[in-house]
Amino acid sequence: MSKKISKIINEWVPEKSKVIDFGCGDGSLLKELTESKDILGYGVEINDRKIEECIAKGVSVIKQDIDKGINEFKSSNFDISIMARSIQCLKEPSLALNRMLKLSKRCVVTLPNLGYWKCRLNLAFGKMPVTPDLPSSWHETDNIHLCTINDFEALCKVENIIIKDKVFLNSKGKKSKIAGISSNLVAVEGVYLLEKK
Amino acid sequence: MKIETKLISFPEGIVLKSGDKLDSFDLMVETYGELNELKTNAVLVCHAFSGNHIAAGKKDDVTGWWNQIIGPDKAINTNDYFVVCCNNLGGCSGSSGPISINPKTNKVYGSGFPQVSVYDWVASQKMLMDKLNIPYWHMVLGGSLGGMQALQWSIAYPDKIKKAGIFAAAAKSSTQNIAMNEVARESIRKDQNFHNGNYIDHGVIPKNGIKTARMLGHITYLSEEHMDSRFGRKFQDNDTKVNQGVDFEVENYLQYKGKKFSEIFDANTYILMTKAMDGYDAAEGLSSLNDALNSVTAQLLIIGFYSDWLYPPERGKEIQIAAMNNNIKSSYVVLKGEHGHDSFLFHNERYAKIIRKFLES
Repeated sequence: MSKKISKIINEWVPEKSKVIDFGCGDGSLLKELTESKDILGYGVEINDRKIEECIAKGVSVIKQDIDKGINEFKSSNFDISIMARSIQCLKEPSLALNRMLKLSKRCVVTLPNLGYWKCRLNLAFGKMPVTPDLPSSWHETDNIHLCTINDFEALCKVENIIIKDKVFLNSKGKKSKIAGISSNLVAVEGVYLLEKK
Repeated sequence: MKIETKLISFPEGIVLKSGDKLDSFDLMVETYGELNELKTNAVLVCHAFSGNHIAAGKKDDVTGWWNQIIGPDKAINTNDYFVVCCNNLGGCSGSSGPISINPKTNKVYGSGFPQVSVYDWVASQKMLMDKLNIPYWHMVLGGSLGGMQALQWSIAYPDKIKKAGIFAAAAKSSTQNIAMNEVARESIRKDQNFHNGNYIDHGVIPKNGIKTARMLGHITYLSEEHMDSRFGRKFQDNDTKVNQGVDFEVENYLQYKGKKFSEIFDANTYILMTKAMDGYDAAEGLSSLNDALNSVTAQLLIIGFYSDWLYPPERGKEIQIAAMNNNIKSSYVVLKGEHGHDSFLFHNERYAKIIRKFLES
């Protein structure tokens, strides 16, 4: 995860909160949040090698396929749940979103933007997009539910999910300055803070 | 690796959970490595139902039950940690148990040895900790019934344990676990040499009962896949058959293992240990496991194995969820492990690394 994204998430996560990170990878984000915000964090991860890295860092981790179990944690009263760059890999992204917002009042979602102009250019030439942010070809990628930023926001609307805050990142990993309609063209990644109505 | 084996006496005795009292008792203890100056590196390893104090090392033809995990530069590195293991109260490897002499009567306890429980084992291990001048355990860990003890340690003595490793275990035995154990116990009780548990007085041993019980137990410890790949439907070689009634390799294996076990294990201990396992419920007297973990401060590492159908990974998950509900730092890992329930005994690279990293983190 880029430093920029973890910095944005850091701003949204309250001090001493209870956090669950779906698809936590090697546990870097949770480790960082523990140090900066004194959170109580739990990661959910399916890859054994990454789980090992979490444990080496002292990050609590649960081996679990996110597609199969978000609901299991609903008794734990989380303050905030995070799903960074994983939602597009899930079989049922909207179900996952709703379930995350059941186990915590707020959630952070980051996702790659298929509306980014380079992706569109790829498609214009009749090819599935392969960019620095989406480096795998169509038959190798885990991203089975890619969408554009506009698509994602439309889904939030349908599902009665409030976008409390959002940041778009450009290809240099910096906050995109161009707002409005063109962000769907310029942003490579959307970072959202969501809440259920 | 420095290994010390000693019998430690507790003349002060212990009042058991049942209310029964042992006026005095002994624990057979083995330690590996050395306690550091600050006494911060002590690790307690708890054995499963048929284990004993010999957890590591190799002596003559005896190999420690967790020798693949404990030793110099192994997952539990004895260059860094001082590892303690004792034969549980009621066992038959040197600690006070049914084959010991009752100091009151100067006769063998036999069936008169009181029923002990996981709670009593943990209480006696706490007494052992004090006697060894250990201020707290850096970690308590074990598999199966040993994992139950590790869990109970974290509940009973939250300020005496920093980390707990609960492997291939559960917060309570399932109905199926109890049922399997009852069949095993019944085969022992129905052995004509059992004499209501007082077989030593009669100068006999109910070996056939123990053997059958162990054969059943063995099946539950292995996975179907493991048995299939190891034995398949292969026939036993005529020259190595334990008896002429044997056709398949798997039969021969069970016969051999059962017989060997019946020569070293005590029938009353078998009954007592399985009863302790069946009887354990971390949430006993409480409305839920959540309440049971209320006071836990230790970090937990819960490991399950996909091929374990006796204590399947979901049972560990229950502990994990309850731990999260209580804001306990806790990790839950499920690993491949090909040996079914017994997987916790064997080295596999990922398993060893996870234990080591958790211990050191």
